[in-house]
Amino acid sequence: MAQSAVTRERLFALRETIAKLEGKPAPALAAAQSEALADKGLAAKNDSGPRLPLGIPALDEAIDGGLPLDGITEARTDLLREAGAGSGFVLALAAMLQRQVEESHSAPLPILWIADMVSTMEAGVPYAVGLRDFGLKPDQFFYASPRKLEDALWLAESAVESGVFPATVLEIRGNPKPFGLTESRRLSLRAKASKRPLFLLRQAGEEEASSAYFRFLAAPAPAQARPLPDGTMLGGSIGNPVFHLTLEKSRNPAPLSFLLEWNPHDRRFFAVSQSANPRLPDERATHSGTPLSAPSNRPDRKKEMGALLAFARTS
Amino acid sequence: MRLTALDEAAETLNLRKHMGVAEARAIYPTLDVIEDDPAANRRFLEAIADWCDRYTPLVALDGVDGLFLDITGCAHLFGGETPLLKDILARLFQMGIDARGAISSSPGLSWAISRFGQGGIIEHGEAEQALAPLPVAALRLEDETIGGLDKMGLKYVGDLLTAPRAPLARRFGGAVLLRLDQALGTDEEPVSPRLPVASLSVERRLIEPIGAEDDILALTGQVAVSLKPSLEARGVGGRIFELVLFRVDGKVFRISAGTAQPLREPKRIAALFAERLQAIHDDFDAGYGFEILRLNVLLHEDFVTSQGDFEHRQRKDASLAAFVDRVSARLGEDCLQTFQLRESHIPERAYTTVPAIEHLSAPKTREGHLPPARSERPIRLLRKAEPMDAFAIEIPDGAPASFHWRRMQHRVLKSEGPERLAMEWWLDGVDGKDAGDRDYFRIEDDKGRRFWIYRQGHYERDTTQSWFMHGVIA
Repeated sequence: MAQSAVTRERLFALRETIAKLEGKPAPALAAAQSEALADKGLAAKNDSGPRLPLGIPALDEAIDGGLPLDGITEARTDLLREAGAGSGFVLALAAMLQRQVEESHSAPLPILWIADMVSTMEAGVPYAVGLRDFGLKPDQFFYASPRKLEDALWLAESAVESGVFPATVLEIRGNPKPFGLTESRRLSLRAKASKRPLFLLRQAGEEEASSAYFRFLAAPAPAQARPLPDGTMLGGSIGNPVFHLTLEKSRNPAPLSFLLEWNPHDRRFFAVSQSANPRLPDERATHSGTPLSAPSNRPDRKKEMGALLAFARTS
Repeated sequence: MRLTALDEAAETLNLRKHMGVAEARAIYPTLDVIEDDPAANRRFLEAIADWCDRYTPLVALDGVDGLFLDITGCAHLFGGETPLLKDILARLFQMGIDARGAISSSPGLSWAISRFGQGGIIEHGEAEQALAPLPVAALRLEDETIGGLDKMGLKYVGDLLTAPRAPLARRFGGAVLLRLDQALGTDEEPVSPRLPVASLSVERRLIEPIGAEDDILALTGQVAVSLKPSLEARGVGGRIFELVLFRVDGKVFRISAGTAQPLREPKRIAALFAERLQAIHDDFDAGYGFEILRLNVLLHEDFVTSQGDFEHRQRKDASLAAFVDRVSARLGEDCLQTFQLRESHIPERAYTTVPAIEHLSAPKTREGHLPPARSERPIRLLRKAEPMDAFAIEIPDGAPASFHWRRMQHRVLKSEGPERLAMEWWLDGVDGKDAGDRDYFRIEDDKGRRFWIYRQGHYERDTTQSWFMHGVIA
């Protein structure tokens, strides 16, 4: 009995530490807990600070009302060839924020994109004309290409600190050592102080402990078809982009996976109905064995053999 | 190998310039000969010229071993001409430099007096008197002309002064009389300074040298405060500032920083240099400290004063400019860029990048208009289109069913296109033949990845067509 009491005390102490790290007052934690038991709706409200709702009620509820506008949100892609999905998702968020600013201020504010050199070589630079098609303003888009990671971090920090940019995007590749928990904590504190969001776009990176509120895994998904004037869809067309997002890190314990369609004209997200099979065409194949490499011209990259184990996530 | 210069000890010996090294060594076997390095000499002279900036901003190089200082309007700051000359020569002497100097009303006369005469100060009316006993070489003439004059028995400037002008001009050309007139001050000779003259400049001389970065920045702020009234009086703000630091041992540091908008605010000027000092941290050696700190405005522009409104929109603009200034000072002007659209069908020519520091100050250019009937563009464009292998292409103008790019096989499920873009023949045409047209496709592969690819060349005309990957669609 005594031992369990000690354990509980330690547990509370740890919870208190975590609450401190997360910037919540410790007594509020206990209150929030009891509230959470009593009423789920109120618990979500306890998290103060500006939020960016994604515009889909069910989803916003799962992420406590929206993405934090005073902290880091991370989006990562598994592979650099899927950079389109990650970049698209982050740029869509930036466009939403820019739209918010326009609706309230009327004077548009610029977006800052801090590029990573290798990702730029592999996946290209943000393309001004394409950005306009995507719902952003090319003349309100700042593009920075620092030479070193330290410079990029300094740039991100001072950009968030200056409070000029409604959205700052920091693109990094992989999981570089110099960008660890300390650095992300530092950026997070800056963002909290100046109430500006920082979007961390991790290309071809692993899951890593960081002080981001949310971490999404962005993966490509088949695009919506183009609508025809009579209400039907044009088969075989590539319309609005769709992202396959998996919420990897959040307060919500259950990993959440959903499809979001970005409408560049309205500059908002729409949920893609989950009734359609969310799995990709090749996952849907009748024979789910490992396919052999296609023997055209040169052999395809070697497929991974064997089953993948579900390792415990780092965070 | 010949001797080009002698030091003081060598001058007292029986050695002359242009003497062969072997000959000199034969006379004095212990002679220490160092190889001449014109580039190093030049650097040293430029360093001295930099140092001379403390007296006047108008410093010009003269050959390989001389400097012209235009001290018009500067002498009174140092207590008159005599103390000024004494100060320069004494300081140079303390640095171990044997220098001779003269002050007169024309550069030619000062040149003659300092090199062939006693140096010192020549008053306005004494030019002829001072010049007369000097050899004709003092007139900066070419060797041939000097030889010619020598043969005629005209050995001293005094001889030329009394000689009739017309025969001299006929015999030796106009150069002799021109040089003579320049030396006498009857013909104006401009001195072209080696550095652009700052439009505004304030400085602080320190009795106790400072070395710490914080002290330098604090002092820069103070100096910038005294700069503000003069900027306000002219209705301008600075675009390029330069901080000149004179180290006690004669080394001069010049640190310049640009701004996105005309600037007056002393705090922001100091902040600008805080970032610059961070950036050049490794090359910046305070040594024993700096004795003079000067802040120059190299470029200024009209300053538009505007009243802030209740929405603080002005403040937002100002903080954006401050951010751009900080980044440009620290990481260079090319680091932070903005895009401008241009009128071109060719994707890679449809935009240009402009350094953000110029974007903010320049008036907004008209946005380029692309034709409305075009497909959506990718969000990321590869710097250079990458060749790839395409298979099972729909004939004649269709997309491939699969392609091989970066060692990966992609199966195409959906495609949109083609969108044919003709190259700009007035730029790309070679010998009357235009570069191949491009057929662009938006494609989606079996994983849902979307790309922008194109085929170079026509199916009917070209036997070989090549496929390229050009961008990534969200």
